[in-house]
Amino acid sequence: MSLVEDTASALPHRRMEAWKWTDVRASLGGEQSGLTSACEPQLTVPVGVSVTRETKSPGGGTMGKLAANFSGDIYMVTVPAGFASREHVNISGLKSGHARIVFKLGKGAKLHVVETHNSNKPGFVNMETSFDLAEGAQLTRTILQNDHADTTRISTTRISAWGGAKITQHILAFGAGLTRFETRIAALGKDFECEIHGAYLLDGKRHCDMTSYIDLGAENAHVRQSVKGGVTDKARGVFQGKFHVRRPAQLTDAEMRHDAVMLSDTAHIRAKPELEIYADDVACAHGNTVGALDETALFYMRSRGIPLREARALLTQAFVAEAFDGMDDNRSFMSKITAWLEQNA
Amino acid sequence: MLKINNITATVNDGQQTILNGLSLEVPAGEVHAIMGPNGSGKSTLSYVLTGKDGYDVTGGAAEYMGQDLLEMLPEARAAAGMFLSFQYPLEIPGVPTMHFLRTALNAQRKARGEEPMSAPDFLKKARKIASDLKVKPDMLKRPLNVGFSGGEKKRMEIFQMMMLEPKFLIMDETDSGLDVDALRIVADGVNALRSPDRGMLIITHYQRLLDYIVPDRVHVLSAGKIVASGGADFAKQLEKEGYDKYAA
Repeated sequence: MSLVEDTASALPHRRMEAWKWTDVRASLGGEQSGLTSACEPQLTVPVGVSVTRETKSPGGGTMGKLAANFSGDIYMVTVPAGFASREHVNISGLKSGHARIVFKLGKGAKLHVVETHNSNKPGFVNMETSFDLAEGAQLTRTILQNDHADTTRISTTRISAWGGAKITQHILAFGAGLTRFETRIAALGKDFECEIHGAYLLDGKRHCDMTSYIDLGAENAHVRQSVKGGVTDKARGVFQGKFHVRRPAQLTDAEMRHDAVMLSDTAHIRAKPELEIYADDVACAHGNTVGALDETALFYMRSRGIPLREARALLTQAFVAEAFDGMDDNRSFMSKITAWLEQNA
Repeated sequence: MLKINNITATVNDGQQTILNGLSLEVPAGEVHAIMGPNGSGKSTLSYVLTGKDGYDVTGGAAEYMGQDLLEMLPEARAAAGMFLSFQYPLEIPGVPTMHFLRTALNAQRKARGEEPMSAPDFLKKARKIASDLKVKPDMLKRPLNVGFSGGEKKRMEIFQMMMLEPKFLIMDETDSGLDVDALRIVADGVNALRSPDRGMLIITHYQRLLDYIVPDRVHVLSAGKIVASGGADFAKQLEKEGYDKYAA
């Protein structure tokens, strides 16, 4: 068996519960470049933030182990305590191969990481990112993904957050042959705050999976999650969300929502929102809706002169945009959504 | 202006016939009222005229300003000047009222081959009409009709109507849910639009609205067709006598 065949056989597949709707092994049609090679990310950081390279260390999970095998060095990004800058960390250029990036944010550090993923030819990308947030650290992540229709991209992020840490994350994904954004957060200290939002808009045979696992282990956590979806043609959207509220995590206030709109009746949505709660003094909720655009609202808009296509775009845009209401500047996302809807509404 | 000739229409995939040989002609410059009991087909008439899906016209014809109305898409009917003030206006979450209206206005202008209205001109016009209708500027920034009271929604329909300046107005029970002051404001707005080149169809249960918007003709709709017609005073007679003698 060749290295490529051997590696492909180790990929996650549908008989694994966490990957049942996102079968990486089955999606690999023919050989995709990057399956057994390292990828050098383009990484720019603000002054005051240092980047070093370290040798291999073991990775967790199936994809993490593959990344550990093939990524070569780990990029270590160190953000000193109290750091703040108007400049962002920019990550791009991950078009094929495995990469690992580790961020360490010191006490009270504030960092904004912007990821742009836009491969222009088929490739296999496996990215493992981890963040360690010391007390009071604040992390903002903004991720825009629009890959080639035959790319496979798995992006797994593991975040440890100590007391008073804050995470704000927004992902706008247009999918690919197969895309998965998995965010795993462990809140280890009290007063954790988290806003984790995203949207996927998929056409053709694109696939996008937004999976998250938020493990709350200390009191007074505040979590808001809203994921919106829009799918057309034969596209497939997947949402898997879990809040795990451990016994010490009293006074947790957490809400999870996934709402998707079917723009054609041949598209697919799969959703699994989960709560697992062991603390007794908490407010936790989850909600999930999948449906078509409201026909009566569409007629109302048409009766005012708005053509059907434009009415569908306007309604879908309003629906999806809610996920990005809390961004400081969502104009770039909005223009991407508008452009997609002009083609696909 | 609007000529409806012997129309029949069904709902529920042809299971139920609602309009049953309805004929009506509204010349330009005239206001006609349609009155009738519940279930007589009043709202169906408004939906058939504006092209809502699910209402199948199975016979007859409708001509609007020389065009075959039934062949036109809802948005084309709007661009040709047809406007329905809904009995139950829809809420459109996430779409601010002003954005919605500007999109509608410019879509209509585009369909007619006209230049879009500039943002300053649009704002100026909106402010003037909002002030006339006592619509709070704050409402224009909110998503259309979301969280508005029943009366506010009806007032917003009139606001839209005055912004879009349609040629033919259909008002489907615009008076329901309005208090007396709101009714007067709405009626003033409608009366301001009366002109020799504009037609109106006022659908109502009660004569009350017709005290404020005095019609040229009043028709009784019963079991899907017009069964009696008269002048403005006919509405008062109907209010007194009820619809029983016209029941099918």
